[in-house]
Amino acid sequence: MAEEVLRMQGITKIYPNGFMANKDVTFGIGANEIHALVGENGAGKTTLMKILFGMEDCQQGSIFINGKEERIANPLDAIAKGVGMVHQHFMLLPSLSVAENVTLGVEPMKNGLFDYEAAVKNTQEIADKYNFKVDATAKVSTLSVGQMQKVEILKALIKGAKILILDEPTAVLTPQETEELFEQLFNLRDSGVSVIFISHKLEEVMRICSKVTVLRHGECMGTYDTKDLDETKISRLMVGRDVVLKIEKEDPKPKEAILEIRNLKRFNSFGKAVIDGVTFTVHSGEVVGIAGVEGNGQSELSEVLAGLSDFASGDVILNGKSIKGLSVRQIRDKGMAYIAEDRMVEGVAGDMSIEMNIMADRFSKKNYKKNGMFVDARKIRKETQQLIKDFEISCDGPEQPVRMLSGGNIQKVVVAREFTSGANFILANQPTRGIDVGTAEMIRKTIVRKSREEGTCTVLISADLNEVLECSDRLLVMRKGKVVAAFPKANEVSEDTLGEYMLGIREMTPEQMEGLL
Amino acid sequence: MKKTQQIEAIMEVVRIVAGLAIAYLVALLILVAISKDPVFIVRQFILGPFSSPRRIGSIINLAVPFMLCGLSMCFMYAVNKFNLIGESIFMLAGCIITWVGLAIGNSLPMAVMVPLLLVIGAIVGAVLAFIPAIMDRKLNANVVVVSLMLNAVIAQLALYLLRYFMRDPGISFIGSYETPASMQLPMIFGKMRVGSGVIIALIFVVIVSILFYKTSFGWKMRIVGSNPKFATAVGLSTLGISFAAQLAGGALAGVAGATEIMNSYKRFQWTASTGHGFDGLLVAVLAKRNPILVPIGALFLAYVRIGADVVNTSGDIPNEFISVIQGIIILLVAAESFLSGFKNRLIYKSVQAEKESAKGSK
Amino acid sequence: MSIDIVAFLADAIKMATPLVFAALAALMTRQAGMFNMGVEGMILCSALGAVTGAHYLGGVWAGVLCGILTGVVTGLIIAFAHLTGKTDLYLTCIAFNLAATGGTVFIMYLLTGEKSTTSGAFRSYQIPNINIPILKDIPVLGRILSGQSLLTYIAVLSVWFVWFLLKRTRVGLRIRSVGENPKAAESVGISVTKIGYISFLLCGLFAGLSGTFLSMSWVTFFMKNMVNGRGYIGLSAQNMANGSPIGSALVSLLFGATTSLATTMKSQSNFPTEFLEMIPYLATIIAIVITSIYSINKKRRIERGGK
Repeated sequence: MAEEVLRMQGITKIYPNGFMANKDVTFGIGANEIHALVGENGAGKTTLMKILFGMEDCQQGSIFINGKEERIANPLDAIAKGVGMVHQHFMLLPSLSVAENVTLGVEPMKNGLFDYEAAVKNTQEIADKYNFKVDATAKVSTLSVGQMQKVEILKALIKGAKILILDEPTAVLTPQETEELFEQLFNLRDSGVSVIFISHKLEEVMRICSKVTVLRHGECMGTYDTKDLDETKISRLMVGRDVVLKIEKEDPKPKEAILEIRNLKRFNSFGKAVIDGVTFTVHSGEVVGIAGVEGNGQSELSEVLAGLSDFASGDVILNGKSIKGLSVRQIRDKGMAYIAEDRMVEGVAGDMSIEMNIMADRFSKKNYKKNGMFVDARKIRKETQQLIKDFEISCDGPEQPVRMLSGGNIQKVVVAREFTSGANFILANQPTRGIDVGTAEMIRKTIVRKSREEGTCTVLISADLNEVLECSDRLLVMRKGKVVAAFPKANEVSEDTLGEYMLGIREMTPEQMEGLL
Repeated sequence: MKKTQQIEAIMEVVRIVAGLAIAYLVALLILVAISKDPVFIVRQFILGPFSSPRRIGSIINLAVPFMLCGLSMCFMYAVNKFNLIGESIFMLAGCIITWVGLAIGNSLPMAVMVPLLLVIGAIVGAVLAFIPAIMDRKLNANVVVVSLMLNAVIAQLALYLLRYFMRDPGISFIGSYETPASMQLPMIFGKMRVGSGVIIALIFVVIVSILFYKTSFGWKMRIVGSNPKFATAVGLSTLGISFAAQLAGGALAGVAGATEIMNSYKRFQWTASTGHGFDGLLVAVLAKRNPILVPIGALFLAYVRIGADVVNTSGDIPNEFISVIQGIIILLVAAESFLSGFKNRLIYKSVQAEKESAKGSK
Repeated sequence: MSIDIVAFLADAIKMATPLVFAALAALMTRQAGMFNMGVEGMILCSALGAVTGAHYLGGVWAGVLCGILTGVVTGLIIAFAHLTGKTDLYLTCIAFNLAATGGTVFIMYLLTGEKSTTSGAFRSYQIPNINIPILKDIPVLGRILSGQSLLTYIAVLSVWFVWFLLKRTRVGLRIRSVGENPKAAESVGISVTKIGYISFLLCGLFAGLSGTFLSMSWVTFFMKNMVNGRGYIGLSAQNMANGSPIGSALVSLLFGATTSLATTMKSQSNFPTEFLEMIPYLATIIAIVITSIYSINKKRRIERGGK
């Protein structure tokens, strides 16, 4: 084995809200090596890399660079010690030229002025050295995504990076651009730069990486030579449940269709299809789970269904009527309830009282008003108190501002509103993310109970495998804006199989999914 | 948990009081520094406003437009729009109701005249506020800049109306003819000579407070101001509500202008905009956009202003220094970081203490 | 009604000078990502600072220096409240402008015993007008371009200076990077707060020049509220020009021409002066409407193109 250039030893990171993102993780890479770091969303990859790059601190553990223990307090430290990071979301200044972006922070100077010519020259030199084809004088806003990524890599290289972290670099690239990137990574490796490659795409990992480290739920599952593994084995290491959760539930008795999605398409501002011809139907009395690696169109689908975003073509029929062009209010009146992905952004108004948050969707309705314009304070207070009791929200009273509650209790405020709005379609996007086990269980059980007893139809989008496998009746898998797999019984699907579809190792044909959508 | 809430509430009051105290201290320091007779001047500044019933009455009279303009800015501030059009609405509404009043003359009884003119003032305000509000809603134009530019335009318009349509040539200054008695609000409280406009102002404090806290529109407005994305996601029409709030704020500024003319003037004689719109912002900031607290903010501001006036007439200090003090007050009350370290330490301590006692009881 | 076109154009350039400085001042903070309405108050303070300095130190140049210094100090006050005190920038600026309006009168009274103008109490100093050698002999052009205040020529140089600063110096590059994407700037070790202070300092420099021009060149005394919205107009000018120094100067010139038009018409016609007074502000509002519609349509086109 080549000498080790980086070693992260026993890293433990606990976030202030108590979430343990890394649990005693040990991770090392050698010189001239492209090393893959793989794991599901929330497995702790990005946290680990942020610790290495000085953007987060950790409670325990130490970092050795070239055998010497180093303390990395901030990104500047990291850069000084030869660590460079290319973030998933580019940190570029579109209105500036490539040379200006690359040299920002280490600008060449002449006579006290910024020496643009030297910046161009330096940029061009380093680009030529590693065989990157970019025009140093071009404006970044005119570049393609692939070229922007090269600029990001050059930014790290010009500062002398010997360890380069790439966070899901191929997620935004076309196949051709990906090929080019790989060529460049090989060049970098051969000229002495070690690359940490974070990815979900196992075929890429197998192709370019010599070693792979797998994280799962914040723990390190080991480091392997890629030649000893295949994609299926990696997928099994990545995808798994620590504790298998069981929810007792009767078989669903799906009745009439409530939500029909037909060939739905939506494009982002770059013209890329983020929802690419999705078709499925959800019936009264069933829970349809949508699994998938994050960023494969689930959030965009949820925005469309909640009425927060328009779509390009296709249609969404809710209770017999298309939602095209309707306002959120109108869609909610047609029977939609929405548990938002990020509760502090779309789920609550933090400074407002619990009462206003619980009643936010209904206080302006007729039966909550008196004399036309006044809110019926007594009725609202009575119902709020009842809901606080029903949902066991621990608080000082209905007047307390929501931001003072714990994460779990804030989510209870959200579900107290959405579960009681009288809707027959519940759109639940990551309903239990980052909250305590007890509340999570209550929310999951309520979703199932409502479908059985009240005949609601539910679309459950979740990155939590336990949740999606146990709560759902039918299960769909989304990848690259498409539904790539459908299973009739979620609790009979093994996580290994699910992982293979989520990660694109396998894909179902339309015929196989026939009748399941 | 309960304790945290208490600390937050107490600290909010402490912050405002500390901000006011610091600003007041600065005011006193200025007086001491520049006055030839500092002891007398400081005494005048602090106690002067209460030295005669007449002066107490002046505080109340001055607080009337502050209250109404403060309520107006509560609407703008509630939906987080610094729409400053109230400044010129105040002037033009005063101008137009004088014009209408002169045209009607004494033919209507006061009980009809006053409400009629208030309604006209409100309409003028809503119409004027419509311009920046619609530009904000449809064009996403900067509402602060637009409203400030419009203020300059509207002030000139009011001046034009005064000069060409109602100027009394028989007086030495630029002013309208004397308004009919039916629109001059009577004095109450005998010696204090308080105009009955204060009753109008208090009625509106009650109405606006009810609107904010008891009606569905008020709830919507507060939710939109607190988190517009959330408001959209639960089905509120965020743009429409913030538009409507700006119109309502404009209408109140119109009411304020109309009330001020009827309460304190016999002629319309403003030849430049009066600054009441900005005073309203100060009151709304002091009241933390809560209409119930607006009278307190308005009375405080009026007290300080009268204090400055007293000092001005009885000493060598120009009353403009008070505007510096006002600036300091806004900054201190609005500064998030002012005393926030102190607050966080308190909260941290109480949470620690709670944990300790929880451990102890186990 | 006859209008002397040459005199009108010369006057337009003169009226545009404080607007150009105001626009450049606002542009400096805008490039760092801050919408600074405080320029209005900063200019007002500087105008008073300039005449006070000139009177007590007895010289034109001392006045200019004091004007600039006042601009810088007031800029740093706003920067401190916003960047260190974490107050809302809009609220800070509104509060500051309020304080400046009254505060200048207060200080003027303390110094002179007057409340409306310093013209009686302070000696008046005027920044010299400059005749440009060859240019002044060219018939029409000479009368328009030559013989303007020294500060007018400095304004022209300042436009170039700001362009050069932003494009050719390290601090300019860093200011732009902070304004465009503070996170990106921070990720390469640039302090957003420090750059914010620097941009306010430069903003103060130009606000100071604007104020100095008003009280030592346009007129030779300070008077109550003499800025009269010029700060806001300059702010809108750079906003319309999308932060380009040259564009801002051209828009300012246009607004200067509207002001000059109003003045000319006042002396030439019996049209109500109130309506003439409105012209610069109305022109600004109309320009805001036009540029807003343009940018909204552009955005729509891109979104539709995306589909």
